[in-house]
Amino acid sequence: MSAEQFIPKRPTETAGDTPEDLYDIVPDGALPQGEAMQKQIAGRRTVGSIGRRAFYSSLIIGIIALLALLYNLVNSMNGLVAREFSVAEERLAGPGNRIEDLDEATLLSLLGDNLSASQERRIARSFGLNSLDELDQVQLVEAVRVNVMKEKVVASWNMTPSLFNRSGIEQQVAEKYPDAKLEWNWWLTPRFLVVPMSSSPELAGIRTAILGSLYMILMTMLMAIPIGVGAAIYLEEYADRNTWYNRIIQTNINNLAGVPSIVYGILGLAIFVQALGYWTSGQAFGFTDNQGNGRTLISAALTITLLILPLIIINAQEAIRAVPNSLRQASYGLGATKWQTVWNQVLPVAFPGILTGTILAMSRAIGESAPLILVGASTFIITDPSGPFSKFTALPIQIFNWTARPQAEFRHIAAAASIVLLILLLSLNSLAIWLRNRYRRSI
Amino acid sequence: MTAPATAGAKTATSTNGTYTLACRDMHFYYGDFRAVKGVTLDIQPQKITALIGPSGCGKSTVLRTFNRMNELIANTRVEGEVLLHGQNLYGKSVDPVEVRRRIGMVFQKANPFPKSIYENIAYGPRINGWKGSKKDMDELVERALRAAAVWDDVKDKMDQPGTALSGGQQQRLCIARALAVEPEVILMDEPCSALDPISTLKIEELMFELRRKYTIVIVTHNMQQAARASDMTAFFLMDNDRAGQLVEYGPTNDLFTNPKDKRTEDYISGRFG
Repeated sequence: MSAEQFIPKRPTETAGDTPEDLYDIVPDGALPQGEAMQKQIAGRRTVGSIGRRAFYSSLIIGIIALLALLYNLVNSMNGLVAREFSVAEERLAGPGNRIEDLDEATLLSLLGDNLSASQERRIARSFGLNSLDELDQVQLVEAVRVNVMKEKVVASWNMTPSLFNRSGIEQQVAEKYPDAKLEWNWWLTPRFLVVPMSSSPELAGIRTAILGSLYMILMTMLMAIPIGVGAAIYLEEYADRNTWYNRIIQTNINNLAGVPSIVYGILGLAIFVQALGYWTSGQAFGFTDNQGNGRTLISAALTITLLILPLIIINAQEAIRAVPNSLRQASYGLGATKWQTVWNQVLPVAFPGILTGTILAMSRAIGESAPLILVGASTFIITDPSGPFSKFTALPIQIFNWTARPQAEFRHIAAAASIVLLILLLSLNSLAIWLRNRYRRSI
Repeated sequence: MTAPATAGAKTATSTNGTYTLACRDMHFYYGDFRAVKGVTLDIQPQKITALIGPSGCGKSTVLRTFNRMNELIANTRVEGEVLLHGQNLYGKSVDPVEVRRRIGMVFQKANPFPKSIYENIAYGPRINGWKGSKKDMDELVERALRAAAVWDDVKDKMDQPGTALSGGQQQRLCIARALAVEPEVILMDEPCSALDPISTLKIEELMFELRRKYTIVIVTHNMQQAARASDMTAFFLMDNDRAGQLVEYGPTNDLFTNPKDKRTEDYISGRFG
């Protein structure tokens, strides 16, 4: 017999008789048979379909909640307002004319006749421009209404009553404010986005809040992503899981992810604002504007970084752990060092997962308000943040502040700002998801 | 012509005195558990050596001690010597990276990188300090793929991911990847266990080609494969402590037709009467 010629042998049966009950495995009556089996299967299917319906209802409830939120925001965001003017429209525009129909030259001369040069400059600045000549017709109309006609909102309504009870509102206005003009008003306008904070709700905008939020997110991500991903790589690829100190570190990170954000605020206040105030105020680097007050963008970014670090680390760890070991072995087998293996094989495969975790962390960071209140976000800032040592405000802070004011009009602009915050969040997330998908396709 | 069958025997009667790789009374531990006991084995140059034996007998562990792959698992330890051309691979001054550069490996499950076919091959030279031009690299990639008999399958899709190939093509791509750094020895850990018979045959033919230049060590569960596609065979078995040991080692034809040890005969005849 040569080595090439093996013919596998057939399995042989055991010699002798097999006992009859050898294959009687299930005791009689222990498993339903025949009709009972069919009934039993139908019962299991019923349980399954009840479960399916329950999950479906949860989904519906979720969608309803989301729609209710959106309705609530949109409802507050537009509606009728009653405005009174100290100077009547006819006196400026001429009898029968509307101020909106005047051309730019007429509007400019109206402003010039009624206002001082310094007032004009202030108005131009409130639009983010240097001189009134640069304003377009719509902006000029607004400038005239506010500064010359001294427009004042005396009452405002939400969208729903404005749509369905217009006659009632008109009657009410006619009784209470006979001189007032009833108009439909959108609180979320392009102007709302580009003008800074103001003490009157019709003039207020969220320019400084958007810039503050964007600056803060940018700085936070610049700090949190390298530190978080680095820590995750170390914990997954280098650290020995079995040592007691690494186990303590891991447990701590997991627990830190669940610490309430206000606690991080207290921490940030104590460390970044107070203890490190010399550095976070910029005094150490020659910025003296803050007089050593550490309530700056950099303090907020550092605090939020601490807050989202555990999230980023845990998600990046999951992503790195999901990289199949066979890839690491293949790389080592070719003579790669640990660094080459991690950098060339593990990280590229883990990258989309790491990005997903980062998206989640970013969403959390942009919506946080409690820690920002503690580290001293200002609520009334009219100058743009100019760098890490600026005083700042952020969108959630602005919204929180506005909802707490007594005038109803502030609630309208709070709703408008909430919509902006949601849109900002969605666009940042879409950007990250787009990046991730693009990367996934390329590997 | 056989290595000593009993564990712990010190002297290695090598077949003809020349060897590429060798174990000298090698013991391997996972923590406190001894997985391999006293293996002494000479791997001859430019031969295909098959390691066979039942599951858990330590043959894969022995294979992985040859390129220090076991070190990637925490709490493992090697006693005794593993020699490459007489140099102890576990010596204090030896870097495991150098060992793996000189002794390539092909794994049980084909594991191409999730990158293009070209990048799969180019990765090895690049991480090992490649200094040639782009054109040289193109040629190297082609030569490696030709040597692994997979060039004709992939030449028109070098930019496509290696993971999109069929199982057999992936495994040959992995062999090409290992060849691209010109190792001295190629270790194969059950390279055909997930492949169909036609792909298996292609890999076996490829091994015979590669034998002209390379020393090949292959672990296999498939007795027929060991019998038809190897020059030397080593039979491993678990002892009563569940530690694997070398039972018999010799030319494949002798070992399968005329086993010296009763246990070898039982194992071979138990399955292939």
